[in-house]
Amino acid sequence: MQEPLEISNLTTWLDTTLRGIMPSMWVILIECVLVGVALLAAYAVIALILIYAERKITAFFQARYGPNRVGKYGILQSVADMIKILLKEIVKINRVDRFLFFAAPFFMIVASMLTFGAIPFGKGLHAVDFNIGVLYVTAVSSLGIIGVLLAGWSSNNKYSMIGAMRSGAQFVSYELSAGFALMTIVVLAGTMQFSTMIEGQRYCWNLFNGHISSMIAFVLYLISGHAETNRGPFDIPEAESELTAGYHTEYSGLQFGFYYLAEYLNMFIIASIATTVFLGGYMPIQVHGWEGFNQVMTFIPTYVWFFGKTAVLIFLSLWVRWSFPRLRIDQLLNLEWKYLLPINLVNIVVMVIIVLSGLTLTDLFPSLF
Amino acid sequence: MSSISKYFSGLFTGIKSLLVGMSVTWKELWTKKVTQQYPENRDTLVISDRFRAELTMPHDENNEHACTACGICEMNCPNGTITVNFKMVETEDGKKKKVLDTYKWDLGMCTFCNLCVLTCPSDAIKFENTFENAVFTRDKLKQQLNHEGSKMREKKKVERPAAPVAKAPVVSEVKVETPAAEVKPAVVDTEVKAVVPEVEVKPTVVDAEVKVELPIEEAVKADKEIEAESKDETTEK
Amino acid sequence: MEKIKELILSTVSDAVIEQKQKLTVTVEPNKLHSLAQALRDNATLPFDFLVYLIGMDRGEELGVNYLLASSTDLSKEIVLKTNTADRENPLLYSIADLFETAQFNEREVYALMGIRFINNPDMRKFFLNGDWVGYPLRKDYDANPELNPLSVESKEIIDIAPRIMETPEGLIEETVRIFNDDDYIINIGPQHPSTHGVMHFRTSLDGEIVKKIDVHSGYIHRGIEKMSESMMYPQILHLTDRLDYLSANINRHGLCMCVEKASQIEVPERAQYIRTIMDELNRIDSHLLAWACQTNDLGAITAFIYGMREREIILDIFEKTCGGRLIINQNVIGGVMFDIYADFQKDVKAFIPYMREKLVEYDRFFSHNVIALGRMVTIGVMTKEAAINYGVTGPAGRGSGWSCDIRKHIPYALYDKVDFKEVIRTEGDSYARYLNRLDEIEQSLHIIEQLIDNIPAGDIVAKVKPIIRVPEGEYYQRVEACRGEFGVFIESRGDKFPYRLKFRSPSMALVSAMPLICQNEKISDFIGIGGSMDYVIPDIDR
Repeated sequence: MQEPLEISNLTTWLDTTLRGIMPSMWVILIECVLVGVALLAAYAVIALILIYAERKITAFFQARYGPNRVGKYGILQSVADMIKILLKEIVKINRVDRFLFFAAPFFMIVASMLTFGAIPFGKGLHAVDFNIGVLYVTAVSSLGIIGVLLAGWSSNNKYSMIGAMRSGAQFVSYELSAGFALMTIVVLAGTMQFSTMIEGQRYCWNLFNGHISSMIAFVLYLISGHAETNRGPFDIPEAESELTAGYHTEYSGLQFGFYYLAEYLNMFIIASIATTVFLGGYMPIQVHGWEGFNQVMTFIPTYVWFFGKTAVLIFLSLWVRWSFPRLRIDQLLNLEWKYLLPINLVNIVVMVIIVLSGLTLTDLFPSLF
Repeated sequence: MSSISKYFSGLFTGIKSLLVGMSVTWKELWTKKVTQQYPENRDTLVISDRFRAELTMPHDENNEHACTACGICEMNCPNGTITVNFKMVETEDGKKKKVLDTYKWDLGMCTFCNLCVLTCPSDAIKFENTFENAVFTRDKLKQQLNHEGSKMREKKKVERPAAPVAKAPVVSEVKVETPAAEVKPAVVDTEVKAVVPEVEVKPTVVDAEVKVELPIEEAVKADKEIEAESKDETTEK
Repeated sequence: MEKIKELILSTVSDAVIEQKQKLTVTVEPNKLHSLAQALRDNATLPFDFLVYLIGMDRGEELGVNYLLASSTDLSKEIVLKTNTADRENPLLYSIADLFETAQFNEREVYALMGIRFINNPDMRKFFLNGDWVGYPLRKDYDANPELNPLSVESKEIIDIAPRIMETPEGLIEETVRIFNDDDYIINIGPQHPSTHGVMHFRTSLDGEIVKKIDVHSGYIHRGIEKMSESMMYPQILHLTDRLDYLSANINRHGLCMCVEKASQIEVPERAQYIRTIMDELNRIDSHLLAWACQTNDLGAITAFIYGMREREIILDIFEKTCGGRLIINQNVIGGVMFDIYADFQKDVKAFIPYMREKLVEYDRFFSHNVIALGRMVTIGVMTKEAAINYGVTGPAGRGSGWSCDIRKHIPYALYDKVDFKEVIRTEGDSYARYLNRLDEIEQSLHIIEQLIDNIPAGDIVAKVKPIIRVPEGEYYQRVEACRGEFGVFIESRGDKFPYRLKFRSPSMALVSAMPLICQNEKISDFIGIGGSMDYVIPDIDR
């Protein structure tokens, strides 16, 4: 198949050229470094774009224009903000637990970066394709909470402390739901490997394949994923009208920048996992039997599909964020333990029944898919 | 059973209320944005005429103002924003007369209550809507309102007895609506009656009232003794 | 009222009863408490609402004026007076056990007038630091700045309250601790985004749950009452706009009316119309901001912007009418300063349907949102009794089922000529207060609708002497400001300056009720309840 715009063409060419001129050990080393640099760069660039997008979209929801002074349509605003944050003084706080205080932002950023590495951005744009991809993502992304708890504990600030404790309760609860929602799809797809999972969704997304059960799992995952990112209406750990800035009240300059960056990246990560698991990831829309249509769709590079689908989910998340008031801690826990978790458990059983009794769409209408 | 139905009805009404809320924001996403694009919109920006941003003392083309240096504004200012410095000069007929030397106003202290303009008997000051008053130091907020070398506009009504001044306030009428400067001399010339009808029409009856008590000459004479005048006034009535 | 007089005489036989502007009863300090109790508890017409409590320096003597009103009919009023000749160590009896609202007011009187109250459980100075030298509102106060130098040092907050209690052995002075050693105390304020101003709540928490709140106020106290004693009446006017800046026009209306009634100035009809319309626009403006801030406190920032957007239209109308947006500066003694502008009616009439449409949108957006309901319904419940006892008026008081609208009880301006409904809900929770505001916006629109086309021609201001001298006497004027009953008390000695001027601040009552209704609520709800009470701090820190 002709896919002239795929970046995998570039990577394959690079790999073959390198292998032609040096021993394979060196090639692997160089490629590791290159991949690392590329991921870091993507990490920063995506965060900047997300910050700009969020500010702009938020403004439009609120009958404002948003940033429009730095560059045309304020497009350089987040670059300017980044420079400012890099140049800002890191304020020394009296009587903090210095080691933990400095370590906390790194936990946060490392956790989100580890997850970031496992996301398939496009065909061949996949740093590591674990055979337990889903499990890995779930495990690693929950490390971030340590950063939050440490920040709250070490800041020597009662507001931070309350924020961190709230965050702990919230994270532990919603991690469950998010995990169960993903497991529902693992049951359906029969694999934990992202690439296989995406390949299996060539003609029918998991979202539709498991119909009722999948859709419920999708909504549950979006809600609990949204909650995991600590963004409104689940932003109780930093609830600015109550706790000023919650766990990162005392952070300034680059340290605050880390939290800021991680927050936006977590939003992206949740959206991209949902894309991969439910919406066919980087796979273009393909219809069984429509060869011409499929040809056209495939011509659009896979990374465009991936980022497009992710962007829709991110927009959804922003829409939710700017529509609702903040939950109180007991409402938050009620929602999880009284609604999401029981529904999730029932849902996973339903999914098992659906799969075992051959009620998935692909089983019911094999001719279509 | 009821608790179970409550559980589900709660769940669904909750979801419905959230969706309704989201539909509102969705609609707002496409509404007209209300942000004012200042300073780009400076040319089209309309600031109400009545907006009080800066106290000014209108001067006419001869560099003449209407201030008699009576100091009533200074006295009425609740914040000590205004300082009227005067000097005594001798007129041709040998009389001593109070003349405005400097009229100082401190924007930084002003609360824009409009009392000075309301009480000014000769309509010498007014508030303008020029609102761009940001400066870099506090000293620059202290302004001198009378121009360099300006003098008081000569009034041609000479030596009227202080008592029958009930219709005098003409001057004030002009104030709110139009700048007084051009209109005034004419009015004064043609005797006061001509203008009287305006008193009812125009909104500044308060000013008129104040002025009845304090025609310019009297104010000058009486210096800052407002109280004495108010007593005069009561007896007149 | 004859029965009440009998009751007074039967309780305190040597009470001096005079019929002044209001029925005035002067009693000895030790009789006051029993008299107040008898008045509060009598069955025919209970005088259970303490409207104001004013410390007075009567020259030789120091004293306190109390105004009691009946919660069922606010127009029934009795002024109680008591005096003490001891200027060195003045002591009076507290009525804080009868009227909770007296608690803060007595502390204020102590700070500003130096009178201490026996049996008040917490006799710290309100507004001022404990070490302030002198009592500012006394006539012999020495304002020399060297006595109270400006300090930039941070001061330790001392949670120990002195008090004087009456025991069988006599009076004893003692101290009590506000918090225990192991209380987890956080300072909400003075710099906090959700205290709606520079307010300081010392809050002790048990996990997320608020155990106790201690209110510290006075961070922006400006001494407006003291300043007013050296200002002429027209000059004082511009200070009223700076009390509760969100109901600036109504506050000013109150002071104007007080002076007008005292010196018998007839306000022209046209001015009355303009005043009423402007007052109601001001009320909508304030309620919109209150709605916006409450939603913001609950975390819905988008709703905040919507509220501000609609409010902008009113501010534009204000700006075109009188040149002010927030500080409206429109009322003067005898009328209004500016006539309406040419398109005023058109603008207002265009605004009314627009606002109605937006009210529906607010309803859809927020009023039925399941999260918002969870954050407001049955949260911060204040009973009717508590509302009366704490003197909580306005939308908050009416949310507790207390009919306390001055516009209905003691109509002023044109309120007896227009048709409008007093919005009352009985739940007493945050949600009732929230809905009350939205409904009051609708009622205000209704009032404006009735007036806007009928503004008569004529003067906008009565003839007033340049120097206004209020005849000797004590005057009190009550108006319905956006947050409840705003009152202006003037004691005049016939001079061009008031001898004593006091503003009754509705926000102070709202804040004084906060410790009660926030107890055992979550800290998030403490913020939400604060939003639903909608206090404005400069109104407290006069």
